[in-house]
Amino acid sequence: MAEKRRAGAVMSDSASAKCESDREFLSQAGVSALLRAALLKLVESRPEDPVGFLAEHFAHLSSEADDGGSEHQAVSRALWHLSLAHHSQRSAFNSNIRVAYELLTQCGRRQRGVGGVRGRLYTETLQCLCSEGGLSGTTAAPLLRRIQCHDFESVPFELFRQGVLTCSVFADYIRKSQCLYAAVASVPDRPAERTLCQAVLATLLEALETADGADVARYLEASAKISPAKVAQAMAEVHPGKQQDGPTMDAQEFEDAAAALFIARVRMVT
Amino acid sequence: MSAEAVSCTIKSPVALQIGDAVSDSSRPGVYITDITLAEPVNIQEISFKNYYTAYLTVRLQQREESSAKWVTCLRNYCLMDNPHAEAGSHDYFSIYRQQMLTEPDNVTTVRLILRQPSSEWLNFSIEEINIYSCAKEDSERDVPAWLSTLTPVEEPLDLNGLPDPETVSSSIQQMWALTEIMQASQTAASIGRFDRLARGQLSITEKQNIILNGILIETELLRDLYSTDREDLSGLC
Repeated sequence: MAEKRRAGAVMSDSASAKCESDREFLSQAGVSALLRAALLKLVESRPEDPVGFLAEHFAHLSSEADDGGSEHQAVSRALWHLSLAHHSQRSAFNSNIRVAYELLTQCGRRQRGVGGVRGRLYTETLQCLCSEGGLSGTTAAPLLRRIQCHDFESVPFELFRQGVLTCSVFADYIRKSQCLYAAVASVPDRPAERTLCQAVLATLLEALETADGADVARYLEASAKISPAKVAQAMAEVHPGKQQDGPTMDAQEFEDAAAALFIARVRMVT
Repeated sequence: MSAEAVSCTIKSPVALQIGDAVSDSSRPGVYITDITLAEPVNIQEISFKNYYTAYLTVRLQQREESSAKWVTCLRNYCLMDNPHAEAGSHDYFSIYRQQMLTEPDNVTTVRLILRQPSSEWLNFSIEEINIYSCAKEDSERDVPAWLSTLTPVEEPLDLNGLPDPETVSSSIQQMWALTEIMQASQTAASIGRFDRLARGQLSITEKQNIILNGILIETELLRDLYSTDREDLSGLC
C-alpha cells in the first residue's frame, strides 16, 4: 500500500506533491493550533520582548508536556502565567489566574480527589508575586500575614484569586504612594514636610472611610473629598506661609503609613 | 413635587342623559365623576389614564372663608384629537397647576366632566386618578454636605511653596481607586480548614498539627469521619 502511494506521488507533478505532503505533515503534527495559541497569548499580553516571550511560552509548554516536574517549576510556571496580564485587564487576568490555579492544583503528589492549592504553594506564590512587583520583604510582610494560610491547608479558587489580585493591586498602590511622596516633596533632593504628608494621608483616609451607602453615592462623596480644591485647602491649612524648617518625613515612613491604610482594609483570611 | 398622591374618594360616574335613564336605550355622551378630598389641598398635579374620553372639563370646589364656591379650572381639554379615532384613547395625562385657569388652592372637591361625542365607543371613562399636592418648603431630602462644598472658594488660596494640588490629588485618587478595587474583590470565601477531612486522607503529622494548633476535636466526630480507617485513630488517641 505504501509503495503504491509513493509511486503515485512520483508520477504526479513534483511541486504539488511536495506541497501536499507539507500540509499533511503540518496537520498531523498539530502545529497550526500550537502556533495560533502562541500568537493569541502574544497579542493578549503584548510584551516588550516578543521573541523572549515566545521562547518562554514554548519552554513552559514542553516542560508541561513532560508531566510534572518539581513544585518549584510549577510555581515559576504559574507566576509566568500571572505576569502576562495586568490586573486592570480584568478578563485576561482572571483567565490567567485560572490557568495558574490549575497548574498549582495538579502539581506535587497526587491529591486523591481533594481540590485546591496547597497552602505552602499559595504562600510561596504570593511571596514571589510581591517581590516581582517591586515590593520589599518588610513592606509586603504585614499584607502577607493577613492573607496567607497554613502549609497544610487547602486554598479554594476564590481565595486564590482574591490573594493574587490583592498582591498585584498592592504593588501598584505602593508605586503610586511613591509618586505621591515625590509630588508632596516637590523638591527632589529634600524630604517632604511631615505636616504636609500627614495632611495628604488624612485626606486619603477620610475618603476611604466614607460611610456605607449605595455604591454610586459613596464614590461621589469620596471623590469630592479628594478633589484638587479640597487637597489644596487641606495643605494650605497645615502649612500657612513659607516655613521650611518643620520636621520632615522620609520616603520609607510615608510608604509604610500609606501601606498601613491599605492593609487595614484587607480581610484577614480565616 | 410630592411623591405620594393625596388620599381621596372617587365616586362612581354619573351619566347625564336626556329623558328617562331606564327606558332610553341610547348610550350617554357625558359622565360626571366627583372626587372628594379628605382635607383642603393646594393641587400641584392631577394625573390619570384615559379610556376613550374625548374632552375633559375640571371644576373645583374651593373653600373660602365661610362659603364654598365652584370654579372651572379646565374647560373642554382635548384628550382625543379625533373622537372617532383611537389616538389618545389609552394615553396617560397629567394636568399641572400652571395649565389651570384659576389657582387650585384650598380645594375640597374635584368634579371631572367627561365628554365623548362619538357613538363609536361603547363606554368611556378615566382611570387611575391621582391628585398631588404642592411640595412643602422644608422637604425631608437634604442636600448632602459634600455636595454643597463642591464649588471652589472665591478667594484663591496662597499656594506658595505648596506642592501642586492637581498632581497630589490625582495620585490620591488612584490610590483610593486601587483600594476600592481590592475591597470590591473581597469574597466571603474561607479556607474551610476541615474541608480535607475526607475519608482517611490526612497524614499523621497533619492530624497532629491540627491538635497542636489548639483545636478541640471530639473523638466521636473523628470516628464518624474516619469510619473506614480505624488504624488512623491509633495515631491520635
